[in-house]
Parts: sequence; C-alpha cells; structure tokens
Amino acid sequence: MKLRVNGKDHHVDVEDDMPLLWVLRDELGLMGTKYGCGIAQCGACTVHMDGIAVRSCQLAAADVDGDITTIEGLGTPESLHAVQEAWVETQVAQCGYCQSGQIMQVASFLDMNPEPTDDQIDAAMSGNLCRCGAYPRIRAAIRSAAGKMAAA
Amino acid sequence: MRILLIAGLLAAAAPLMAAEDQVVISPPAEGSVNLETGLAAWDRIYEVASHPRCSNCHVGDSDQPMWSGPSYGAPRPHGMNIRAGDSRIGAETIPCRTCHVTNETGGNDMPHGAPQVADAWQLPPVEADWFGRTSDEICAQLRDPERNDGRTFMELADHLGHDVILHWAWNPGGTREAAPYSLQEHVDDLLIWGVAGMPCHFD
Repeated sequence: MKLRVNGKDHHVDVEDDMPLLWVLRDELGLMGTKYGCGIAQCGACTVHMDGIAVRSCQLAAADVDGDITTIEGLGTPESLHAVQEAWVETQVAQCGYCQSGQIMQVASFLDMNPEPTDDQIDAAMSGNLCRCGAYPRIRAAIRSAAGKMAAA
Repeated sequence: MRILLIAGLLAAAAPLMAAEDQVVISPPAEGSVNLETGLAAWDRIYEVASHPRCSNCHVGDSDQPMWSGPSYGAPRPHGMNIRAGDSRIGAETIPCRTCHVTNETGGNDMPHGAPQVADAWQLPPVEADWFGRTSDEICAQLRDPERNDGRTFMELADHLGHDVILHWAWNPGGTREAAPYSLQEHVDDLLIWGVAGMPCHFD
C-alpha cells in the first residue's frame, strides 16, 4: 500500500491491520516515534494525519487516510518548528522517551487552538504521559511556543 | 411499510459488524399497539438508553464522557482529563479521533484500547442528557421535538439505523458489556413505542 510520510511517498507491503506505528518504525526506519503502551493511554506514539494528532499504535495501516507527519518531518535541525525551538530553550526533556509524542501533540493542538487557556493546555496534554514528571516544563514550553507562533 | 437496509453502508467497511448492522425499519400498523405494550417497549428502550454503552457519552451539559459499567468499577469521568468542549469533538483540546481513530476495517477488539468505528467519534448533543437520568426524564426528552432534534419516532428509528457510533453499543469489543437486546430489537421497540403514541409512565 501507498503512504505519504513527511512529504515522501512510500510503498509498503504490510498487513492491513498492522498499526501505523510498526510501519513507521519497522518498515520505514523512522525511529523517532515511540512505543509506550499500545492502547492509546500514553501518547508516546503520536504523529499527525493531515495535521491532526493521532495515536499511531491505534491506526491500522489500511485506515491511514491522509498525509502522515512524524517528529522527523515536523522541522529540520536548521529550521526547527516553534514547538521544538521552545522545547530546546526550556530544556523540557529529561529522559526524552515521551517527548516526540508530546511535541507532536502540542504542534497539532496549537495549530487548532493558537491561544489556549491553562485549563485547555492541561486537557489537551493529559493523554501524554511523562514518567520523568516534566509537566511543569512542558506547560512552560507550550506557552512559549504559543507566543512564538503568535509573533511569527 | 417502510424498509430500510443499510447493509451497504458497512458491509465493505466493517465485515465483523456487517451482519448486525442490517436494520429493517418496519413499524406496526397504526392503532395496533395498546398503551401497555407501548410502555413495555419504552421500558426496554430505557434499559438500552441507560446502559453504560449508551449513557456514558450522553452526558448533557458536561463535556466529559463517563467511564462506567461492569468492567470499570465505580463510575468516573473518562481518564486522561478528556474534555470534548463546546465542539463535542474535542477540537479545543484533543480531538476524540486522536485515539478513537476512524476505523474502516472492523473495530477495535483490544481490551482497554480506544473504541473505534467507521465514523468520527464524538459526544451527542447537550440536549440528549441521559447519564444518571430516570426513565421518566429520558422518556420526556426523547419525545420532545425541542430536545430530540425535531425528530418523529420514524426519524428516531432512521437515525438509529444510520449512526455507526450507536451501533458500536451492541458490538463494543474488548471486555466491554454490550447494550441489551440487539440493534434491530431496539429499533423495533422504538417503533412499537412510537405507534403507541410515545407514552411515558407519568402520563
């Protein structure tokens, strides 16, 4: 089947019900997207489908209906996405395992809701777990990224 | 007699569910249903409407879906601080479909996984406020055009026949308990209740 990932078309020979997460990691070698729980309870595997955050562990390959963007395609080292820039400046990551999912969730969230309230930030991000407890820095970085995007 | 088959809607999309999703809308003849039979049908409708598979999302003014039922322990709001917002689809925070992805290939049977159907997951309108409500309260709502989106009983039955999120209640996957009866029996009860004049016990 054909998938468009990070602006490139890929042909993959996989079972219809293979989760997109495995297609990305095992077939396309894009290891930035992480496996956490496999049941949509942690957010580590978050990617975008046509700009909307989706849990790639929940999405069967045959149900992919739109362009996929992973953390590898969100920005480039030379031109970071505003969320990535805010993440680096705020030094959000501790172990980092959940961070690509966190960043993808935030990028989609701010795209839909550029001026979120603190309550909305908490509601949007409560499905993305961080075992290091980096939540205060995650919140701070989201506010910073929202400011950057508003100013851009 | 009006017959509506929606097999085609899902036959290709959800082979596991297709057999249960053929709904025939065939009301009894006008005047053929007495009050007692109509109220008995309503009681069965209420068993369905108040079942966790249905009521957990019919949360009225709240934008927090509920988790309740035999597999959940005490009733509690949906985990992960989920808010469906004024949009009822979570557009303000996290869209329902981030986890409840649109699934054309046969639902999600994974225990504890996010339920999925071949449509965008969402909360019902605020007016359809069923969670924790009594039989009389829901009965009054369902026959009130102001609160049932202006639907006749035939249109309610038609709505049931088409909405694949509602169909999920009878095929919820994982370890979740299905709604009682069957989709067809529920539609039949709605038609019996409708032909009886949509009676409520408090009338």
